[in-house]
Amino acid sequence: MTTATAHQPTSDKPKAVPGRSVIFKIKRCDGPGKPFRWESFKVPTEPGSNVISCLKWIAANPTTTDGKQTTPVVWDSGCLEEVCGACTMVINGRVRQSCSCLIDDYAPREGDTVTLEPMSKFPVIRDLWVDRERMFNALERVKGWVPIDGTYNLGAGPQESPEHQQMRYALSECMTCGCCLEACPQFLKEEDPKNWDTAFIGAQAISQARYFNEHETGARLKGDRMDVLTGPGGVSDCGNAQNCVKVCPKHIPLTESIGAVGRSATVHAIKKFFLGH
Amino acid sequence: MSDNAGFLQKHHFLIRRLHSLSGILPIGVFLIAHLVTNSSILWGGAALKARGQAEDLSLTQGGIAYFQEEVSWINTQVPHLLLIEISLWAAIAFHSILGIYYATSGKSNLAHYSYQDNKRYVLQRWSGYLGILFIFYHVATLRWGWTFLVPSGTEWSHHFSASTLAAAVQGSTSGYTAIGVVVSLFYFLGVSLLVFHFANGLWTAAITWGLTVSEQAQKRWGYVCTALGAGLMLAAWSSLAGAFLTDHDTALEVESAILVEEHGPEHLEHLIEEVMDDEDHDEHTLNTTDTDNNEG
Repeated sequence: MTTATAHQPTSDKPKAVPGRSVIFKIKRCDGPGKPFRWESFKVPTEPGSNVISCLKWIAANPTTTDGKQTTPVVWDSGCLEEVCGACTMVINGRVRQSCSCLIDDYAPREGDTVTLEPMSKFPVIRDLWVDRERMFNALERVKGWVPIDGTYNLGAGPQESPEHQQMRYALSECMTCGCCLEACPQFLKEEDPKNWDTAFIGAQAISQARYFNEHETGARLKGDRMDVLTGPGGVSDCGNAQNCVKVCPKHIPLTESIGAVGRSATVHAIKKFFLGH
Repeated sequence: MSDNAGFLQKHHFLIRRLHSLSGILPIGVFLIAHLVTNSSILWGGAALKARGQAEDLSLTQGGIAYFQEEVSWINTQVPHLLLIEISLWAAIAFHSILGIYYATSGKSNLAHYSYQDNKRYVLQRWSGYLGILFIFYHVATLRWGWTFLVPSGTEWSHHFSASTLAAAVQGSTSGYTAIGVVVSLFYFLGVSLLVFHFANGLWTAAITWGLTVSEQAQKRWGYVCTALGAGLMLAAWSSLAGAFLTDHDTALEVESAILVEEHGPEHLEHLIEEVMDDEDHDEHTLNTTDTDNNEG
């Protein structure tokens, strides 16, 4: 009970008004290359409403506050329990998952406004739906996997201490949502995939590279991963603003990953300099 | 990577790490030595008294004498001084040009993510931009002798280190002028921002190189960098207080006495003549309105 109150102080938060309507101000776009426009919707809420349930209401009643009929707002979502990352968007100026965003917290009074925007670092497909392909491309570039495919039996997996396993578990929680990249001042929007190899790769792939480097079998690809991460757009492009770790919904220690990969990069580069490969 | 990738891309990591290193060695190490030396103008008097020297001098005069001793040592005893200076200027040029290139590749977002670390990220960049302007002005006026940028029109001389410094920052040889206040404020801002830039850069460098990995380590190293930054800030402000408060004529007397004691009165006359010649020369060839404006 005490933890619940410590986590969500009720004293300085206005109590949500039951049966109120709130305004959703949404940045809309009809498709790639199309101009943005803002549209507002008045949405009745019920206790426990979240952004997705309100978007569903808007989809069923696509009429703006000006009384204009419009198209339903498009968004992406999957799990609805903050583990898939698909519904990530910018809510009241800050990036987060919309499924776990409760209206009682964001707009407790009648007529309060919730602003929804698509993430600004990824190409918009339509409205709030963005193309997160660059993150999956980054995972491929850093070989974000354990190499176990082959022609013979590799035997039992490696032994791992509980402490090490706990450390890797935290890293494994990444859902490729893009919050860390959206909040990063060094990671910029890059529509042309040709530039993905040289633009800053960001905390997500750096942390995943560490995750797989830390796996005993995965470590066989460490050299390849570090080649990518010591290249243009690699770990050295980090500016240490440390926004990534603060917006990560899974509380992944992203800045520790950046430090750890920085260390691997130092060692990798020195080895390469003196051993010549 | 393709064979025709640019030099910067090919050696991306090395250049990035050299950029990080150059901020510490030689620039940061020089900054520490420079600020400690310069702050002696404030505490040097007490140091001399503690040694039982300069009993006939006041604390202020002692500080000037101590500072003069340090400056003379650097300018007459340090071997390969020009080589050291050129290496330093080259390192500063390398660090600042690349720094500006790197800094402009980011896009700050403080409005929505106003975390303390993010504020330091932004300040690190702005302190770099303003810091390099300050360093350029500082070195050009006090080392390269670009007197047309000095409101008092005076040239800094290592024989008269404190008096010529006071004249340069105060705007004239007889106390503060309006533009002298502007120069002094620029010094205060520039030096303070550069000390921050170094302390914060030292903190981020430890993450960059992988020295501090865990959050606790980063926090602990943050305390070390804060302590170092606070100490350096104290040295910086002491140096500035010395330059701002030193009376030109008092300093000139102390410096002259040292020169007479060490080299005899003829040498002093010779040096003064040289300085006067320079000033005459400047007044004839350079913009005299500067001096006219600031005398009044």
